[in-house]
Amino acid sequence: MMNTAHTSTDGRSSGPGRLLIAVYAVFALAASARAGFQIATNFNEAPLAYSLSAFAAVVYIVATVALARKGAFWFKVAIAAICVELVGVLVVGSLSLFDAAAFPHATVWSLYGRGYGFVPLLLPILGLWWLYRHRTAAAAGRAAADAAKSA
Amino acid sequence: MVIDGWFITALIVCLLSTGACVVAAVLKKKPNDITLLSMAAIELFLLVFLVASIVRSAGGEPIAGEPWEFWGYLATAMAIPIAGFYWAILERTFWSNYVLAAVGATVLVMMARMAQIWYGTATLHGTASAALGAS
Repeated sequence: MMNTAHTSTDGRSSGPGRLLIAVYAVFALAASARAGFQIATNFNEAPLAYSLSAFAAVVYIVATVALARKGAFWFKVAIAAICVELVGVLVVGSLSLFDAAAFPHATVWSLYGRGYGFVPLLLPILGLWWLYRHRTAAAAGRAAADAAKSA
Repeated sequence: MVIDGWFITALIVCLLSTGACVVAAVLKKKPNDITLLSMAAIELFLLVFLVASIVRSAGGEPIAGEPWEFWGYLATAMAIPIAGFYWAILERTFWSNYVLAAVGATVLVMMARMAQIWYGTATLHGTASAALGAS
């Protein structure tokens, strides 16, 4: 693999990254359990809100796995998942605030994650900042891949 | 929600654990006997809570909410100190103490939710449950 050169600098899953991954894992667990419970008990009551819960759960699971993995590919997956998460919490948060009738049933992202102490709003910002701090590792991987291609 | 002795005990155990872990992390100490044993303390509490809940349930005390939601929460809560312990000893830096600090906080929120399920809330989808977590 091309990542032998930058393995030592690929510190996404170490130090503060471990805390970030742990919090993401808790949210993946919480969102999955919540979505599973909602869908199993009364899906017909609010299919949109409960589908959204399931979608949020998938986003958290992908983000958790991507943050924990090394390499440029997982870096991009993590960026994508966390961007979706940020857009999700902002859009759903705003909709639930201004068009409450459309969201009578709570999801993880309702009211910008108020039900979870606004952590869902804070988490993607911290996640993107953390990935930005470690962008060089992914860039090194990309450079190595380009070099391998041109060689 | 109804605040019973179980929740007060959880509050004390979890806050002591989280407090000790945050102090250790701020002092840049690696996970040590105190912070790692506080995981064992939380796990032990949850184990006693599990046995007591089985006894109470078997004794005919009703659960206001969905029983399987309560047991699901309890089983998940019991996995969290173990996962935190495992995650912390894989990389013993002071950052891992922040991970251990998150365990107590998470278990406490789950205990609050379990109390809501056991005793029931005025409005299941209302502000009380929204303020404390999943509904």
